Amino acid sequence: MADNKDHLWKAPEEAADRIEDLVRSGSHPVGIDVGTSKVVVSRRGGKEVACASQLNAFIPVPYSPVTERTIQQQSDIHYYRDGDELVIFGSATERFANMFNAEALRPMADGLLNPKEKQAWPVLEAILQSLVPKPRSSNEVLAFSVPAAAPGRESALTYHEASLRQHFTSLGYKAMAINEGLAVIFSELEQSNFTGIGISCGGGLCNATLAFLSIPSIMVSLAKAGDFIDRSVGEAVGEHATRVKVTKEEGLDLSKPPKDKLEKALHIYYEDLVETLVDTLRRAISRAEKLPKTERALPIVLAGGTARPKGFRELFERTLRSRPFPIEVAEVRMATDPFTATARGCHIAAMFEK
Amino acid sequence: MQRSAAPKSPATGLAGFGRRPLQALEAKGRTIRDPVEKLRFLRHSIERFETLDERLQVLPGAPLRWVAYRLTGVAETRPLFSKNPWGALDPPRRNRPPLPRRARRTVNAAALLLVAAAGLALAGYPLRRSELAPAAVARPRPVPTAETKLDPQRSGLAPERIWLVDSGAAFELYSNGLRIDTTWAVRGEPRRYRVFTLGGGMGEEVQDRPIGIVYHTSESDIWPLEESFNEKLRDSSQDLLRYLRRNQVYHYLVDRFGRVYRVVEEKDRANHAGMSVWAEGERIYLNLNGPTIGVSFETRWEGGRALPITRAQLEAGRGLSDYLRHKWQIAPELCVTHGLASVNPKKHLIGHHLDWARGFPFEAFSLPDQYRVESPAVRLGFDWDDRFLAVMGEPWPGATLAADRLATEAAARGRSLDEERKERVRAYDRWLAELTTDAETAEKRAALAKRAPSGG
Repeated sequence: MADNKDHLWKAPEEAADRIEDLVRSGSHPVGIDVGTSKVVVSRRGGKEVACASQLNAFIPVPYSPVTERTIQQQSDIHYYRDGDELVIFGSATERFANMFNAEALRPMADGLLNPKEKQAWPVLEAILQSLVPKPRSSNEVLAFSVPAAAPGRESALTYHEASLRQHFTSLGYKAMAINEGLAVIFSELEQSNFTGIGISCGGGLCNATLAFLSIPSIMVSLAKAGDFIDRSVGEAVGEHATRVKVTKEEGLDLSKPPKDKLEKALHIYYEDLVETLVDTLRRAISRAEKLPKTERALPIVLAGGTARPKGFRELFERTLRSRPFPIEVAEVRMATDPFTATARGCHIAAMFEK
Repeated sequence: MQRSAAPKSPATGLAGFGRRPLQALEAKGRTIRDPVEKLRFLRHSIERFETLDERLQVLPGAPLRWVAYRLTGVAETRPLFSKNPWGALDPPRRNRPPLPRRARRTVNAAALLLVAAAGLALAGYPLRRSELAPAAVARPRPVPTAETKLDPQRSGLAPERIWLVDSGAAFELYSNGLRIDTTWAVRGEPRRYRVFTLGGGMGEEVQDRPIGIVYHTSESDIWPLEESFNEKLRDSSQDLLRYLRRNQVYHYLVDRFGRVYRVVEEKDRANHAGMSVWAEGERIYLNLNGPTIGVSFETRWEGGRALPITRAQLEAGRGLSDYLRHKWQIAPELCVTHGLASVNPKKHLIGHHLDWARGFPFEAFSLPDQYRVESPAVRLGFDWDDRFLAVMGEPWPGATLAADRLATEAAARGRSLDEERKERVRAYDRWLAELTTDAETAEKRAALAKRAPSGG
């Protein structure tokens, strides 16, 4: 967002989850997962790595002095004024969407900046600014995640990547882009020398990367992920996708039989998603031109908000083992924290480049 | 791999070279606890292998290089050399740090010593030049140029056995050297067509297998084949491919550098031949999108002939043609050009489109000269008009041949040529109507089947 809009912001330093508050002293590299659904930042806070997040969503409400005063009274709401609208963004969006029984809007779609959304860049910029402070010294490294290029969407990805790079560079960071699946490998497969498959199931995309000794060999992205499930289930049962999302995140258990119509639909679309994901991966590996020779079986690690429901890992493994897979798989496991795995991996890459 | 500016870790060191460098790398990597240090160790070791590989490549003499590769085992690490080690689409470019002067001197001195040693070893052999066959003189390869002459070498050769040797995410490589770029490939509509016979009309059986090839010109912008037009040459091919994919036009495009791109999957129908007629013996095929595979050469039909294709295009086109004929068991009689088969069904005229209406190198493709084959459309009563003659000057020999035969048959039946034509085109119109109705019915059925609830 342009500097001249700063005065419209509610002071971001008041935010409880502002990453700057987690940093005590010195300058540190930053890892940031710019996802369709959430933006997660990872940075060293004292001796520990600390993560903070914001929902990558917004909702415009009509401007009135009363509304603005009401919003100002609550410390955890981020917003800016755009003409006769107040654009509420970040984690408070969901609350407002439920309050108004409306769909939350997204600055990103299918893992990239949403070209159909006028507010896409201003909102994303505002969200990033609320999470990432200006660097304390010049050329501090910031690594941000990008999806793998889907066929035919290379130019959209170039634009997305360049916009983010430009934004972080303008803040004073030395910005680098890193593939999302590779970031998962960095954060979770250190034990196996960064060799294996990292899968990030996010809101807009599922990204999978096969790496050998930290070098990516195969990177694929699938435009079917959390949003697809929310939308499809919503259409099937006549509910708002936002409500489906809440139900999904509030305790969906894929290992148990569904309790109602909505859960049944969620099971169906989760199965469809996993089936497609495994097939995509199977095809990509089968067609790979050259892969390093390895005699050991490779681990698969699952991350991302869409992979969080209970039973997801089992569903994935069952689907994977139901048909021959071109490489031997040692284990399928969940990331220690699926939600922050990509950001933590970006953080490792940033520390490497420091 | 792009060189990183990250500092090297003095604590962890680098993996040594040996027969199994990857194993050594793995083993040493496991001893490092800190993920960033581990990443540093792995990345810098791989960089070191890459640098070594580059140096080995410039060693003089293949045997020496072979020994060096055997000793260092560096070939095993090659799949890890990456220009994009972070997996991003547009990674920041970094300049490789130059080799230290001392290292450069050492490498140069070692290479010089090796060359000198090899020279001395060779000098030890008795030289009997007169008994030796004259050494083959390396001739510069001709630069690909516009192809005007045909290569008669392959006349009459049947396609040899052709099989898939290798494939990857974006390519297929066949045993005849054909490499197909599959980056742009899309699915088309399912194939569905019927065969007609003069006596029996429309056949009962619905067919879904390609039985022929139709050759086209792309009718796109053709830039001079010169270095200064590189950008235009590249861009125009990419733009063309984008257009073709969006509209599912042709199954294959052969660009001016001889690259073969798959546009629509072979088993599906592509848009390429529209209203057209061709035949093999008694079997008549209408609207060749259904029964044939469309192969287009990036060139343009201009001034009554196709602009010359390049040698690279000719070679690639032959390889593709052989592969398709082998794979789908396509009869040579059913390999035809668009200009020869295209018709205007309303006016009952041949040559509605004229690409490759003359000048296609059938002989070089080991195919019969279809310009001399009786035109099936003319046999069905189609004629040509002044517009056709203005472009072509005269019909191709097969069209004249078919017209003569039609006149003879009309005379034998005691009719005028005009009456004979009218009767035959009436039959064609009937067939076309039947074909259209059949296609519409099939479409409706497919739509109904889609709408019908599954299960139950």
